[in-house]
Amino acid sequence: MADVNYSEAEKTFILHGIQDKFPCREDGRGCEDYRHMEIETGVVSNTSGSARLRLANTDILVGVKAELGVPSPEKPDSGCIEFFVDCSANATPEFEGRGGEELATEISTVLSRCYDNSGCLDLKSLCIIPKQQCWILYIDVLLLECGGNLFDAASIGVKAALYNTRIPNVTVNQEDDEMEIELSDDPYDVNRLDISSSPCIVTLSKIGHYHVVDASQKEEACCLARLMMGVTAKGTISALKKEGWGSLNPESIFDMMETGKKIGQVLNTSLLNVLEEEEKSGNKRKTVGFLK
Amino acid sequence: MLTSKVFVKKTKRGGVLKVVREHYLRDDITCGSQHCTKCDHNVNVETENSPETDIDSYNVGKSKTQPLVISPPSNSELCSSSHYVIPDTNVVLHQIDVLEDESLQNFIILQTVIDEVKHRSLPANKRLKDILANSSKHFYTFCNEYNSETYVEREPGESSNDRNDRAIRTAAKWYTNHLQEYEKDISIVLLTDDNDNRTKAKEAGIMSFTVHEYIKSLKNGGNLIDRLAWKSSAGTQQEGKLIYPEHIATSDILKGVKSGKYLQGSFMASRENYLEASVNVTESEKFVLIQGHQNLNRAVHSDIVAIEMLPEAEWSCPSSLVLEDTAQAEDDALEDDSKLKNKVPEHLRQPTGRVVGIIKRNWRQYCGILKPSLLKKGTKHLFVPAERRIPKIRIETRQAEDLATQRIIVAIDSWPRSSRYPQGHFVRKLGNIGDKGAENEVLLLEHDVPHQVFSEKVLSFLPKMPWSITKEDMKHRKDLRDIVVCSVDPPGCTDIDDALHCRLLDNGNYEVGVHIADVSHFIRPGTALDEEAANRGTTVYLTDKRIDMVPELLSSNLCSLRCDVERLAFTVIWEMTEDAKILNTSFTKSVINSKASLMYSEAQARIDDKTMNDELTLSLRGLNKLAKLLKQSRIDAGALCLASTEVRFQVDSETADPIDVQTKKLLETNSMVEEFMLLANISVAKKILEEFPNCALLRRHPSPPPSNFEPVIKAASSKGFIMDCSSNKNLAESLNKAEFDENPYFNTMLRIMTTRCMMQAVYFCSGMLPESEYVHYGLAAAIYTHFTSPIRRYSDIIVHRLLAVCIGADASYPDLLEKKKTQSLCNNLNYRHKMAQYAGRASVNLHTHLFFKTRVQDEDGYVLFVRKNALQVLIPKYGLEGTLYLNENKKSPTQFVYNEEQDTQTAGDVVFHVFDHVIIQLSIDRSNVQHLKLAINLVKPQIPGFSVAPASQVDGEKEKVGPPSKKARK
Amino acid sequence: MAGLELLSDQGFRIDGRRSHELRKIQCRLGVFKQADGSAYIEQGNTKVLAAVYGPHEVKGSRAKMLQDKVLVNCQYSMATFSTGERKRRPRGDRKSTEMTMHLKQTFDAAIITNLYPRSQIDIYVEVLQSDGGNYCASVNAATLALIDAGIPLKDYVCACSAGFVNDTPIVDISYLEESGGGPELIVTILPKSEQIVFLEQNSRLHEDNLSKVLDVASKGCKDIYAILDRAVRDHVSKVSNVANTTE
Repeated sequence: MADVNYSEAEKTFILHGIQDKFPCREDGRGCEDYRHMEIETGVVSNTSGSARLRLANTDILVGVKAELGVPSPEKPDSGCIEFFVDCSANATPEFEGRGGEELATEISTVLSRCYDNSGCLDLKSLCIIPKQQCWILYIDVLLLECGGNLFDAASIGVKAALYNTRIPNVTVNQEDDEMEIELSDDPYDVNRLDISSSPCIVTLSKIGHYHVVDASQKEEACCLARLMMGVTAKGTISALKKEGWGSLNPESIFDMMETGKKIGQVLNTSLLNVLEEEEKSGNKRKTVGFLK
Repeated sequence: MLTSKVFVKKTKRGGVLKVVREHYLRDDITCGSQHCTKCDHNVNVETENSPETDIDSYNVGKSKTQPLVISPPSNSELCSSSHYVIPDTNVVLHQIDVLEDESLQNFIILQTVIDEVKHRSLPANKRLKDILANSSKHFYTFCNEYNSETYVEREPGESSNDRNDRAIRTAAKWYTNHLQEYEKDISIVLLTDDNDNRTKAKEAGIMSFTVHEYIKSLKNGGNLIDRLAWKSSAGTQQEGKLIYPEHIATSDILKGVKSGKYLQGSFMASRENYLEASVNVTESEKFVLIQGHQNLNRAVHSDIVAIEMLPEAEWSCPSSLVLEDTAQAEDDALEDDSKLKNKVPEHLRQPTGRVVGIIKRNWRQYCGILKPSLLKKGTKHLFVPAERRIPKIRIETRQAEDLATQRIIVAIDSWPRSSRYPQGHFVRKLGNIGDKGAENEVLLLEHDVPHQVFSEKVLSFLPKMPWSITKEDMKHRKDLRDIVVCSVDPPGCTDIDDALHCRLLDNGNYEVGVHIADVSHFIRPGTALDEEAANRGTTVYLTDKRIDMVPELLSSNLCSLRCDVERLAFTVIWEMTEDAKILNTSFTKSVINSKASLMYSEAQARIDDKTMNDELTLSLRGLNKLAKLLKQSRIDAGALCLASTEVRFQVDSETADPIDVQTKKLLETNSMVEEFMLLANISVAKKILEEFPNCALLRRHPSPPPSNFEPVIKAASSKGFIMDCSSNKNLAESLNKAEFDENPYFNTMLRIMTTRCMMQAVYFCSGMLPESEYVHYGLAAAIYTHFTSPIRRYSDIIVHRLLAVCIGADASYPDLLEKKKTQSLCNNLNYRHKMAQYAGRASVNLHTHLFFKTRVQDEDGYVLFVRKNALQVLIPKYGLEGTLYLNENKKSPTQFVYNEEQDTQTAGDVVFHVFDHVIIQLSIDRSNVQHLKLAINLVKPQIPGFSVAPASQVDGEKEKVGPPSKKARK
Repeated sequence: MAGLELLSDQGFRIDGRRSHELRKIQCRLGVFKQADGSAYIEQGNTKVLAAVYGPHEVKGSRAKMLQDKVLVNCQYSMATFSTGERKRRPRGDRKSTEMTMHLKQTFDAAIITNLYPRSQIDIYVEVLQSDGGNYCASVNAATLALIDAGIPLKDYVCACSAGFVNDTPIVDISYLEESGGGPELIVTILPKSEQIVFLEQNSRLHEDNLSKVLDVASKGCKDIYAILDRAVRDHVSKVSNVANTTE
């Protein structure tokens, strides 16, 4: 984790703000408010799908590449998704070399746990020939700047990139026992993924006695424990994880789950709205990417 | 403006790749018309400018004239005003024969079209490039794909063909509008055979016709119509009944080949039987027999086909029948294949298959004649190709009467299932049947000898005349102008590529120099001139004609090391001791000034004339002396002296018809020149291999497998000689010992037979083979290459370039050091050399036929081989070999009996052995116009009922059978 | 040349450029808030992000510390999705390590290093999309990031590649042109003094042609310099405007 050293006074200031009857966070947000978020899809043209998410200072770039592969023996009739997270040294010198690997593994494990559920993404549609050939989606998350709440940001980026993903249409020609895969030569002949039930991660950070969403880097420094959950648009929870060195009592966990569900649903819906809005501007939309 | 091209492709490893490429659209692409004042026509000139501004502004360079003329005269009745023509891809692909015609000018070729043509047919692409390079054609390439106003993006659901058609229409529309605003309108005519495309074009206000409509409307288009290819669109409605099985789709073929269901191979039609062919299956060296129309299924000789094996019970064997296709054109029905359907005994059965599809057509243009048609007035005719393996071709022509006496060229367009014969179109006439020019042309075409006049593009790379040696040229050269150099060649030689000198050094050693024309100085890698020479590979010598590899300016002038002019050369200089030991070898580029161009006989005379003691003569004597020593040491090493008979026709200076023949005489000086050339080649081979172990171009001559020698051993043993063929040295010794007093020609014949046992010598790239296989068997050299004839062999040019790099006289270039490229070049050279040899032989045959056209002659001959049903007879005087068929007339009282053991044929009390002397009569068999045959009949020994009367007796001069009449009657 | 025709008879490259034309260059300074300096550059479809941290105290092993000048620390890495076929690792492979070394060498020569003895400057480069000229785009992006961070440089550092096809030098070659197997020359110069700080050549190129290709590549560098300089000036004026209005 990108640690920043804050003074005791700073921490106390944040803590006290939240302890108030009418909690007030350092930047004036309420406990359940997200910071300003910007999202753009299709920023990396040589991927099957991509998205860039900027959540305040947190900057995430996600690229999805669809490649042909062999289905896993346990699920011979499904495709696969593989998460890979890379923490760029651009974010902080500490990530240089293998410095970011621990955090990267942590994020990718949570992401794959969230998607490890047949309801989240229809992996069966990624299968081309059972036991022989399927699409493998490599979902690569690149962390470019750390401004707190990396897990939520990563999951939103992933969902947007999946929404943007286009997989070439293939036809299977069967000849005796030889199967031949033929790619469509029409660039518009593509399949898209149904992401309506894909989850977003909502992290609730316990600061003092209260819990807040979308903790900033400073708030994270004061946080004792947090609960991460994958929430779909319908409010189903696909994964749950408690993190941090502090402890939580069971009641507050249920409390936090309730809040998480509620927030997750709103988050998912508004994300989809934004994506659909962007989609409407059509093929001719110029991507801005990092040029803004 | 910028857009990008996105497409998905499959990688070699079976992965899927999304590829994104940028595609810049520009505003500076001009229309290419001289009429136009809107476009800034200076942009085509190379400009240097900064990147941000290059699209909007540019330095004004020299103005280049635009190819499309201001107001081209219109010959078309469909479009009487001046116009430019835009053909679509299919028009270019299928009607390239017509586009090449000089009368068609002011065409705009779109980039879209070029790209598609490139993709679909390499030969067509090359021809299109040649047309575009020819400035007198006024063809212009419009880069519509890079022009911001004419670029079109593929739309959802649009196929790439539709997109390209739309791009072509968009460009045509752009031109229409672009040129409209001038006082004198220039119209645009779009040529396309696609109905849908034409309709859409018309809707958009573009004038559009089919090729046939347009060509027919041309006032001078009469002979162009015949050259149009058949409309392939007409094939959609199959008329008549389908007589051939369907070809399966390409994708299915590829899959089938992959899975092993089908086999891929090259289709080789039988020469003797038009209903038989074999397929040489790729990768397995296996031959599969194909029999009958249905199974041959429209494959044409040299196509790459996919075949399916028949069940073993249906396997067959090649019938020994000679069948010629005699069916009449008019009825399309296939005669029953039952001619072939006879039960084949099991032990004779061979793997047999059927053609299921065509992977690649290797159609070329075919020479032949029109089959005399019963309906003189009709336009549909049958064409009979000269190559017997090619089926007859249906063509449509209105000039049948005119063509009936001509040799013509025809191209195949298609072979629909409903047509018994492939359909083609007339390309051009070659000349009257029997006319020597026309026959030569046939010969060249049939041997795939590129012999067109050099294109303008090629000629543009020639040095400008008057040419002289500049300071720049002298940079890496030694000045050897004051050395007494001379060349020794056969009479009439204009492409002199080698010259020699020899002088005594102060230390008592000899300095010997071989100077080879520095062709690589003029032919720079990568130029059109270089590509043309690389493609031609070799100069082809016909009896009365030479087809140059490089334009005449080089071959007979600038590169020819004639006397008394300064010429650039590539020189090998050795210092040798008196007994021809090489002390050191050096290579250099040089300038020489040859003091004499001698003929072999002249040089010989100088050497022999004791009274001549000038520097030149002394030099020749020195060379001759050293050459003899070199030859001896070579023979000691095991080099073979093989014999072949080469003849030279003495040609009538006016009619160019052959009057007499003579075998080439060999003088000491021939061998002298040869010896030094060999030495130079070997020295160079060593040098380039040392420097470029992986990419040297060498020549190897594999040692033949022992089984090859069996006929020679057998023949020699019949005369009591034992041949030791275990090594080249032993073989050479055995040959030397095999002298036979009774038959002075015996030794030569034995050598001729040995030659037949040899493998072909081939060029190869050193990196492609292990070193042990570099060896040259015939010359007994560990390595060998060709360096000494760069004017007439492309291999030598490459060797020159390699050597020049070795000595730092020239720059290398990537292709030169790329072993795969060198190997594929070698493959072409080997092919061209083989074909050149065949063409040369065919030319000798042709002249022999011409020679005997008016003669019947008796000649000495020797039995070379005894066959089951014939004697192979060698006629030394003409260097000819003829087949004397025996037992052809079954009713004849004399029947020959073949003794396989003894290798003899016996008729009554006459026994024929190998090497026997016979007298035979030569005449021309005229039964087939396309294939005149030299007929051979036996005169002596007399065999009643078989031999014929001597020629002199035919003349009525009753003479006793005696020495054959050596004199021709005329 | 077999296969693809990299330069058509009409003088166009496959993407429609003429031989001397660069790809479209777009760039921005100050992309990130936390880094001391950052920049983003697009050269055609090659897209690179660079961040600069420092000068700060030497991190990690003290042994790396230099007494007389600043330690320039670089890292080149590529996003796993940046290439046509997905990369398995973003860095640590031989190519990236080599690139890292090249970058260090280049910027050691350009930064006025004696100003910050016993300190360290980090230059991190992340290739987001790769389409040829990765090194060049990385250098150009890092230059902008260094300027954004306010680190004193001798001059801009501009890099450009060039190839050689059909006897014609072509500038700023794309991935497709790189993979053709022809020669490739990569040059980094300090435009004002025209000093070459980095030079690398791949595949075979004849000596006689070197100067032609080098000229074209240097010309490309100077053209890039003009673009970078304009971007820096725009950025500075924008930033100062913002500063003025807020005052």
